Amino acid sequence: METSELARFEAVILPHLDAAYGLARYLTRDDADADDVVQEALLRALRFFGGFRGEGVSQGRAWLLAIVRNMAYTSRRRRQADGATESFDESVHSDAAADHHPAADLARRDSRETLAQALDRLPAELREVIVLREIEGLSYKEIAEVADVPIGTVMSRLSRARKRLQAVLAAGGGPGQTVSGPPEGAVR
Amino acid sequence: MTHPDIETRVDLALDGELDEADRAELETHLATCPACRRFRSDRLALRSALAAELPRLQASAALRARVHQAIRTEAGSEAGGGTTRRSRRGLPQTAWRWLALAASVAVVAVGSWRLGAARADTAALADEVVASHVRSLMPGHLSDVVASDQHTVKPWFDGKLDFSPPVHDFAGRGYPLLGGRLDYLDGRPVAALVYGRRRHVISVFLWPSEAPAGVTTLPIRRGYHVLRWATPQFVYWVTSDVGLAELTEFGAMLRLADSTAAGAGAER
Repeated sequence: METSELARFEAVILPHLDAAYGLARYLTRDDADADDVVQEALLRALRFFGGFRGEGVSQGRAWLLAIVRNMAYTSRRRRQADGATESFDESVHSDAAADHHPAADLARRDSRETLAQALDRLPAELREVIVLREIEGLSYKEIAEVADVPIGTVMSRLSRARKRLQAVLAAGGGPGQTVSGPPEGAVR
Repeated sequence: MTHPDIETRVDLALDGELDEADRAELETHLATCPACRRFRSDRLALRSALAAELPRLQASAALRARVHQAIRTEAGSEAGGGTTRRSRRGLPQTAWRWLALAASVAVVAVGSWRLGAARADTAALADEVVASHVRSLMPGHLSDVVASDQHTVKPWFDGKLDFSPPVHDFAGRGYPLLGGRLDYLDGRPVAALVYGRRRHVISVFLWPSEAPAGVTTLPIRRGYHVLRWATPQFVYWVTSDVGLAELTEFGAMLRLADSTAAGAGAER
């Protein structure tokens, strides 16, 4: 790779290392997995950087996050093939199934479910739109690029994800300021 | 418009994806519909809660060093041509070299990446500032305390914030103080002061910060100019749809008033 190309990579792609790590961590839900995903994604980005035509730093972000997302899903699939029981499959994380999810039961017994826990329990395709929009501040168009779906799908996923998180907040989750919904201690 | 339509539009508006005309239409509806207003305030509550509870994660220094080293190695091996790529786990005999390099690389790397991260943070914060300003223009949201007198506005903040914002009035120079409110930016409660300029509204957000001094004019976003500066005590974000020249003049007046007040030792 030429030095100027490497410099361009460092200027356009590397500033998004934190964003890359954030997405990887929220998708894998594991520190070590997230680190591996980020490193693999950065190397892959470097290899395919010649094909990246964008100029701006924000285009670089969407491009890199798309790679991170793919690597995170690949890593999950690999883990599943290795016999891990967790799954990205929505049927496992849907509301009905979650009622019998041991982790969810534990959280419920322990205390009110926090927003962070609720986010972790969302199916990956809903979790990623929340992370990209609410934490990384990507536009719908950028999210559509990263997740490789139409903008309409981004909107409907955001709406579904927010509806679920809103329910947790109304039930008293979150950082303790319940703006609407039943008072603390109310029956869920 | 049906309610599901409106709800979609509220999301679009809050996400900064709705154009000016549609936003005006939405505001007209919201003014007459408590159910939709409630939907919007629930969404805003969710957004604040998410911002408060979900941190923006940062890559560890170890990961930064690891990534940087991997990139150098990869770029170097390509330049060398035909060298077999190293496994990402690394080989034992390269481990010591790796550690030594990682330590030196980390120092250089953190500097330049911090700068990039800071720029991205600034852009995100500017988006928040404009969103908050736009939200405040919706009916009934402009100010919690309506007063053109700084001696009414300033005490109003007492007990509501962990700091006491300086408040000035520039009515004599065409920028009357309209009021103040609490807002939530950059993950913390902040003071918002509202000034008028003819028929325009200027929002001033401030909170304690050790941000580096210097005035920055940010790229115009969604039709609003954004200025940012820092005093030894506070960081200021100012936004409005007045012309940039007027906003700059207003900013200079505000900074002068602050420094005069600070210089006189008068906490006002």
